[in-house]
Amino acid sequence: MIDQMLAASPNLMNTFLFFTIAAAFLMVILGFVTYAILAERKVLGFMQMRVGPNRVGGRWGLLQTVADVLKLLIKEDTIPKLADRPLFILAPVLAFTPAFLVLVVIPFSENLKFADLGIGLLYYIAISGITTIGILTAGWASNNKYALLGGMRSAAQMISYEIPLVMSVIGVVLLTGSLNLNEIVAAQENWAFIFIQPVAFIIFLIASIAELNRTPFDLPEAESELVAGYHVEFSGFRWAFFMLAEYVYLFAMASLTTVLFLGGWQPIPFLGFIPGIVWFALKFILIVFIMIWIRGTLPRLRADQLMSFGWKVLLPLALANIFLTAIIKELINSF
Amino acid sequence: MLGFTKGLKYTLKNLTKEKVTYNYPDVPMEMPDRFRGIQKFYPEKCIVCNQCANICPTDCITLTGKKHPDPDKKGKIIDTYDINFEICILCDLCTEVCPTEAIIMTNNFELAEYSRDELFKDLQWLDENDTNKRKENKT
Amino acid sequence: MIRTEEMLLNVGPQHPSTHGVFRIVLKIDGEQIVEATPVIGYLHRGTEKLAEDLQYTQIIPYTDRMDYLAAMTNNYVICHAVETMMDLEVPERAEYLRVLVMELGRIASHLVWFGTYLLDIGAMSPFLYAFREREVIINLLNEISGGRLTFNYMRVGGVKWDAPEGWIDKVRDFVPYMREQLAGYHDLVTGNEIFLARVKGIGKYTKEEALAYSLSGANLRCTGVKWDLRKDEPYSIYDRFDFDIPAREEGDAWSRYQCRMAEIEEALKIIEQAVEQFPDEGKIMAKVPRIIKPPAGETYVRIESPRGEIGCYIASKGKKEPYRLKFRRPSFYNLQILPKLLKGENISNLIAILGGVDIVLGEVDG
Repeated sequence: MIDQMLAASPNLMNTFLFFTIAAAFLMVILGFVTYAILAERKVLGFMQMRVGPNRVGGRWGLLQTVADVLKLLIKEDTIPKLADRPLFILAPVLAFTPAFLVLVVIPFSENLKFADLGIGLLYYIAISGITTIGILTAGWASNNKYALLGGMRSAAQMISYEIPLVMSVIGVVLLTGSLNLNEIVAAQENWAFIFIQPVAFIIFLIASIAELNRTPFDLPEAESELVAGYHVEFSGFRWAFFMLAEYVYLFAMASLTTVLFLGGWQPIPFLGFIPGIVWFALKFILIVFIMIWIRGTLPRLRADQLMSFGWKVLLPLALANIFLTAIIKELINSF
Repeated sequence: MLGFTKGLKYTLKNLTKEKVTYNYPDVPMEMPDRFRGIQKFYPEKCIVCNQCANICPTDCITLTGKKHPDPDKKGKIIDTYDINFEICILCDLCTEVCPTEAIIMTNNFELAEYSRDELFKDLQWLDENDTNKRKENKT
Repeated sequence: MIRTEEMLLNVGPQHPSTHGVFRIVLKIDGEQIVEATPVIGYLHRGTEKLAEDLQYTQIIPYTDRMDYLAAMTNNYVICHAVETMMDLEVPERAEYLRVLVMELGRIASHLVWFGTYLLDIGAMSPFLYAFREREVIINLLNEISGGRLTFNYMRVGGVKWDAPEGWIDKVRDFVPYMREQLAGYHDLVTGNEIFLARVKGIGKYTKEEALAYSLSGANLRCTGVKWDLRKDEPYSIYDRFDFDIPAREEGDAWSRYQCRMAEIEEALKIIEQAVEQFPDEGKIMAKVPRIIKPPAGETYVRIESPRGEIGCYIASKGKKEPYRLKFRRPSFYNLQILPKLLKGENISNLIAILGGVDIVLGEVDG
């Protein structure tokens, strides 16, 4: 449907339709974010022998996040006197917008997809890099030393981990011969890439956790060191924007992992009668759970260890994986 | 096996274990008998010996006595008795020295008030505070 | 040519991992610490000065509030000092109760240290697991003393309460339970590669430096000095128990971690033996005059608290209040080495080093 609309000549009706679909999608994402935060708190709580949110919205705390967001909305908006005002206001927007933009290319099922870009993967990686600028801006504009340190750490971390992230995916791209995410899913009809490219999957998972600034790579906002890192001066809805960006990225990154390595909406053999979107959701939830699980277990790395791990371990591994994949592919092709 | 996988196993195992948190305040906390909560005072038992006020490390007890209304009887009876809970540290020494067990501990520990003035407990309040009294007061 | 500038950063007094109201003024170059100046005194209550106007019994609740994570040892040190001055013989049963509660307190204190240390370096779960076990201990101590944190349990010449019915059995059951949980901690944390990378070789000092700075407790034992007052200058009835003093050679944060975890096991051993030897009946209070008036003179006693060597000096003029009272507070002495350790480290290590020293601000500031 979307393909036809994209090809149709522009008119008011189309514009309105696009707007409605985008708004509906936004709501779905926000709904996910609401319950992802709840799920994270619940799972962490259960792992730590406690029950997690249980007061707002019944025994399961179903409205806890809604209440939290509501509270953030009515909170006083404070901007430090010595902050760089325009940048301070711009920073949350810069951090948040790309988080939504990247979702455009992700195919959720055979029919439920938005833009079918030929360079979908590249688009995702490129756009998600913009968030770093937002975080760096936030760190600088706050005029706070902790924020500055957090912003600097974040910039260094994002740059060093984007490279292994991209490199690990190249193996997949080599095997598929395309950067289009739909084609990557289609190529996994028989075997998901996690079995063909296990090394790439592990590197991707680690690098994606680092990209998401989650434990054990949560240095930019390391609570016990930098208090809250780059968003230490932000409050109210500006702060909510950073949190929102973080969780929308969690959504996007888990979706991307599902698409790249777990075969997207492809069913497990003999269970094809279950619709693709359910398969996608299941695999997606698995990835999100793993991320929460890791957060509940591991301590944080140190900044220099983080750097050396990225450059000295992940990058060479990813490069080796590319070579190996290329050689094997050539060997198979020549026979 | 890698070291951190053991940790992952440990956290996963705990996911389904029974929770250890208290359901406070939905379910009130049961404190052991010896627990030191806010005091209960029996004016009729008090002999105005002033030992509690003397032993109090933070000087939060003030008391005054008056002559016994019955002229045949000797000694004094209590007139005013105040404990300032802004500074009381619930150390239990006042109940320990009291020869007649006129002041004892209760298990009531919810002392939060909206105003500091309400933390100044007088004789009447301490007399009426007679729930969850401690059974064992002397060793 | 890049021009860099040194920056002044105030860590604390309100910061999540300074364990209270501790402040360090850092001069940093990027993330590297050039100079660190600790600033203390935000929790100073003047315990020692207050004590000069208080009777000896009245001082005991004040000591609860110094090292509030192991109040039992603080209770003991003041009672022990007065008993030494007055030459009092404490009944056996009271001594066993004292040892039991002190060792339980030692485990509780180390558990808090373990939890908060892991929280400082970024893992949140161990904190809650440690507090689960600590809650069991706190409940035990609550049952016997009537307080969860500020026990005010010991008195000059004995203890305030006898063990309630079934308490000893509960303590006996606690030992295997704690051993099982301790194995879980080792699974969760001790083998973790990230944790090892964070603590190995961090905050290193030598045996000579440790002695020169007058460190004590696990901070000293991690450099290979086997110094534990429970063994070297046995007080109370510690000479009746068979236990080891865990010591390591490296002198870094990792060895301090190992020392403390091993100390929990040793404390469990002591508890186990104390429960076995526990006398069936007996007095819990020696014959003590109503008003305690130690003879004129001076005395200094020292015992092993979870944080190190806690000492109590009393100068008496034969009155019911001490003429001068001084506590040797181990956290305060252990903290002194911090500026030296921090020089040249980066901010992430600051947290790992400060946490590893194990300070309680109530004790540092007195």
